[in-house]
Amino acid sequence: MHVKKYLLKGLHRLQKGPGYSYKELLVWYCSNTNTHGPKRIICEGPKKQALWLLLTLLFAGLVCWQWGVFVRTYLGWEVSVALSLGFKTMDFPAVTLCNASPFQYSKVKHLLRDLDELMEAVLDRIVAPEPGRANGSRTLNLTIWNHTPLVLIDERDPRHPVVLDLLGPHSSPAPGRTCSAQECKVAMRLCSLNGTACAFWNFTSATQAVTEWYVLQATNIFSQVPRQDLVAMGYSAPRMILACLFGTEPCSHRNFTAIFHPYYGNCYIFNWGMTEKALPSANPGSEFGLKLVLDIGQEDYVPFLASTAGARLLLHEQRTYPFIREEGIYAMTGTETSIGVLVDKLQRMGEPYSPCTVNGSDVAVQNLYSDYNTTYSIQACLHSCFQDHMIHNCSCGHYLYPLPQGESYCNNQDFPDWAHCYLDLRMSVALRETCISMCKESCNDTQYKMTISMADWPSEASEDWILHVLSQERDQSPNITVSRSGIVKLNIYFQEFNYRTIEESAANNIVWLLSNLGGQFGFWMGGSVLCLIEFGEIIIDFLWITIIRLVAFLRSLRQRRARAPRDSPPPTVAELVEAHTNFGFQPDPASQAEGYPHGQPLPIPGTPPPNYDSLRLQPLDTVESDSEGDAI
Amino acid sequence: MAPGEKIKAKIKKNLPVRGPQAPTIKDLMRWYCLNTNTHGCRRIVVSRGRLRRLIWIGITLMAVALIIWQCALLVCSFYTVSVSIKVHFQKLDFPAVTICNMNPYKYSAVRDLLADLDKETREALKSLFGFSEVNSRKRREAEPWEGIQPRFLNVVPLLVFNEEERGKARDFITGRKRKVSGKIIHKASNVVHVHDSKEMVGFQLCSNDTSDCATYTFSSGINAIQEWYKLHYMNIMAQVPLEKKINMSYSAEELLVTCFFDGMSCNARNFTLFHHPMYGNCYTFNNRENESILSTSMGGSEYGLQVILYINEEEYNPFLVSSTGAKVLIHRQDEYPFIEDVGTEIETAMSTSIGMHLTESFKLSEPYSQCTEDGGDVPVRNIYNAAYSLQICLYSCFQTKMVEKCGCAQYSKPLPPAASYCNYQQHPNWMYCYYQLYQAFVQEELGCQSVCRETCSFKEWTLTTSLAQWPSEVSEKWLLPVLNWDQSQQINKKFNKTDLAKLLIFYKDLNQRSIMESPANSIEMLLSNFGGQLGLWMSCSVVCVIEIIEVFFIDSFSIIARRQWQKAKEWWAQKQAPLGPEAPPARQQGQDNPALDVDDDLPTFTSALRLPPAPGAQVPGTPPPRYNTLRWERAFSNQLSDTEVPEEP
Repeated sequence: MHVKKYLLKGLHRLQKGPGYSYKELLVWYCSNTNTHGPKRIICEGPKKQALWLLLTLLFAGLVCWQWGVFVRTYLGWEVSVALSLGFKTMDFPAVTLCNASPFQYSKVKHLLRDLDELMEAVLDRIVAPEPGRANGSRTLNLTIWNHTPLVLIDERDPRHPVVLDLLGPHSSPAPGRTCSAQECKVAMRLCSLNGTACAFWNFTSATQAVTEWYVLQATNIFSQVPRQDLVAMGYSAPRMILACLFGTEPCSHRNFTAIFHPYYGNCYIFNWGMTEKALPSANPGSEFGLKLVLDIGQEDYVPFLASTAGARLLLHEQRTYPFIREEGIYAMTGTETSIGVLVDKLQRMGEPYSPCTVNGSDVAVQNLYSDYNTTYSIQACLHSCFQDHMIHNCSCGHYLYPLPQGESYCNNQDFPDWAHCYLDLRMSVALRETCISMCKESCNDTQYKMTISMADWPSEASEDWILHVLSQERDQSPNITVSRSGIVKLNIYFQEFNYRTIEESAANNIVWLLSNLGGQFGFWMGGSVLCLIEFGEIIIDFLWITIIRLVAFLRSLRQRRARAPRDSPPPTVAELVEAHTNFGFQPDPASQAEGYPHGQPLPIPGTPPPNYDSLRLQPLDTVESDSEGDAI
Repeated sequence: MAPGEKIKAKIKKNLPVRGPQAPTIKDLMRWYCLNTNTHGCRRIVVSRGRLRRLIWIGITLMAVALIIWQCALLVCSFYTVSVSIKVHFQKLDFPAVTICNMNPYKYSAVRDLLADLDKETREALKSLFGFSEVNSRKRREAEPWEGIQPRFLNVVPLLVFNEEERGKARDFITGRKRKVSGKIIHKASNVVHVHDSKEMVGFQLCSNDTSDCATYTFSSGINAIQEWYKLHYMNIMAQVPLEKKINMSYSAEELLVTCFFDGMSCNARNFTLFHHPMYGNCYTFNNRENESILSTSMGGSEYGLQVILYINEEEYNPFLVSSTGAKVLIHRQDEYPFIEDVGTEIETAMSTSIGMHLTESFKLSEPYSQCTEDGGDVPVRNIYNAAYSLQICLYSCFQTKMVEKCGCAQYSKPLPPAASYCNYQQHPNWMYCYYQLYQAFVQEELGCQSVCRETCSFKEWTLTTSLAQWPSEVSEKWLLPVLNWDQSQQINKKFNKTDLAKLLIFYKDLNQRSIMESPANSIEMLLSNFGGQLGLWMSCSVVCVIEIIEVFFIDSFSIIARRQWQKAKEWWAQKQAPLGPEAPPARQQGQDNPALDVDDDLPTFTSALRLPPAPGAQVPGTPPPRYNTLRWERAFSNQLSDTEVPEEP
């Protein structure tokens, strides 16, 4: 019913025309609005009026501009950071322990026999000890060698470098003797396409050349051995972890989760939080942390694979994969290493505030470490990305990274070109950059800041009994089976301040925006939202007047056109103007009813309108709304 | 009356435009209070009762005070900063790495220069501490002491002080006791007081005329001997030309046995020489001019810098350095490596792995903080060939002061233009001067600390250093011969594992943290906060402020001025013509109400606004025709057609 009523009202309005003019509307608005400027425009003298008009427009412009600035700031999604620092009970970090040597040499010897013999022969050729020892009586298995041989590039004549196969039949028994490191470079020859396309990987030092060559060949060998055999060849948990104490509670190697790392062999993770709840630590200081005694068994290291002796250690978050090769630290043998931990956490907001990913689901790289049931990390993404490219380019996976479904690791037999292909990829900066751009960092970034200090352990006075007890416990033998060069003591504990959390929060929220918008509007013009609504109302009225006027104008146009043939003389321009200005020239009952003085003679149509310019300025006030109400 | 007039009248009634025309200040205030947009004022006028009015006055004034206070607070806290921390995972520029051997010059090369000094030092050790050299090192046999006039001990004698006999010291050469006049400065005694040692060793530095002496004592003979040795050593070395010093020190090929960066071999050519006065030849990786900076696109030790250093302990100077190893400093390419101040020490027979995290900090300069962008506005001349830093500024400042006061430059810092290094021959009392100046510098009396300002942006590499045994027992056998072969060109000696040190420097991950300061307030924020305050307490705005200025300053002054003018005029008129008393009352009326014309009509809009009267209104009394009404009724369609009909004929 109401709708119908309103529609009817609208129709009437359309028929009747607007109740007032634009100017009247404006004046009415100005005198009644709550914003501060407009009122002054109409109630001041002409000079001041102009000034106030200018001021008001200026302020309105300023307000609009500042609003624009604020809205743009808001849409910039800026963040503010809150830093908190202190001590609280926190989950003790997961501790991953590895040995620097992946395997026990005694157990892996049979696999590496051929390779080691080759290596020794190469070293003999390079270093060239006294001629008596360098007897080439051993028969070498040259299948590995022929695939990727080491060569000596003799650059004594820089225009004609001579390439010598180190173990080749034509080489002299000790080329290293005649040619020093400055002139002869050791390089690795990598061939692909059945040995037709060859490239040399040059080294400035023989040490690096033989090490890299050995690692490459060992990778080839180990990639063909099934995983469980590799695990058996590494250091077992009881062999490695001799003593464990967490706070006051004893723990043992059974509290560690074993994981096989391709580079470091068997690694053991304490407090990974995969199956049971993570252990908290409620006190700072080494008395309440993790104390470990490890035996790395240095005498059983693979000699050519690990030239550095020590335990490898990484503190990381629960349920994350330990990227120990990239982020781990060493612990030295024969020393006690104390590590004070500060958890440095950065929590970010995610899109659209900062470009990061919450769980890695929106990253275009398949996470190969998801088999371990670990959370996303950028390292996992980078490694997966590399393995992806490896499989795509070389059609086999690298031994150091997990395999996707249905692929196999590279080896010399099945993929003769793999080494060439792999080294190309490894050196490729473009590949790394694509991976960096594809992978997103995760929103929660936790770093463990460590304060590392070291002392000799065991001390000279206590060495005897400690070694005795340790050997007795592990091997139940009265002989001393552990040595100073193999044992490592570790203390890992929370520092007095154990966390530093940097948390992002939105710098500008909607409340901020509104209060600033309000502040600006209020500052310049004393306005509020209600003023905006008033203004909107006026705009609607304006449109309404325009519509009504247009309707009236069209109607008059149509009527005139219909009447046009009857007009004998076409109206002059003056007449038209007059007709336009003195449109409804009729004494109207409404005005008379309102008590205008009677007896005033109606102005004769055609006379020029009086020059009551001032009247033009006059606003229509409430009278109008009265009559409007009457009219409808 | 036409509706337009009516509206005008209504407006007039509601808004009497009488502010400036008000006869008295009180009226003006009343008008202002009634008509202003700010809240509170109106209540003062419309309230009934004096108490209530007073309360409202109080409240309004309080609100004004609050606004002023709060706005003042806002202005005061305008120059504050907010800090944001951003993390980027990206390709990172590898920093420059400067590696030095702890021993500056090969002892075999520098021995001739230092022979006398060493001899005297040994003799001093013998007589002071009873140390006689067992022939552990064959090459340094002690020569007989007699008959040689000590050169160095004469200039700066080593003295033994006895706690019981104050002011007396024993000169150990002659064994004579001698009086020590002047002040005795205990080295580091203002930090720790040493009581238990009875005998103290020190040396005396005197100015030219030996009347003014300062004596430095040390709690331990080790420090005394080393300081004393260093003084003479610097004096000797200051006279040696730079090329000779470079030749006496280690070459890059000698120091670096192997080098590996980002999976590629590198060699001595990737390092640039940097001669440090106290550390001899140092080598900087990734600092080569006209070559692009190397960057890392993978984290982890194998993609960083791996070097094996050859540190020949046999060539160490026994008195100058007492520890063995190398020093490493990670710094920006354009930064000067202050290796003596902030280096990391590397042990031999160890693999030292240094994992880095990069943190960049940016501060806002003036007016937010006192930092400087490039040091251009710091009044200290940078004598280093490197970008500005606080350390550079302090040392430059000190060196400049040194040249000013002592007339020569200190050996361990670069030379300012037109200055030379200090030595005995030319500047006999430079040591005294230097020690005095150094004392003043440490106690911030030179003004360097207040002049120098920190830089606004800096890169910091947080290092995690861990050690491991290297080479391992089983790999030692093959590794050392191969390394020996690599280095066979330079060194003809079989390597021992304590001659070598392995160093790995790498990015742990490629996360770069940037700590950035940004202005907490902008001018928009300040204004909107002002607006908030004004609106909260009084619903005021800039318009109100303009109103206040208009009313309280312009209008009230004009009223006062008008009053005074009138009075003056009146007084003048009375003085001139005391006979015409009729004129003033008429004037009075016009002055009281200048807006009101003499006609008794209601003020029209034009008259109110004091517009020039329209020509049609010239005849007073005739009401204006009501054309206005036509205007607002012409749109009625039924009338439209009606009105047009009579027009046509």
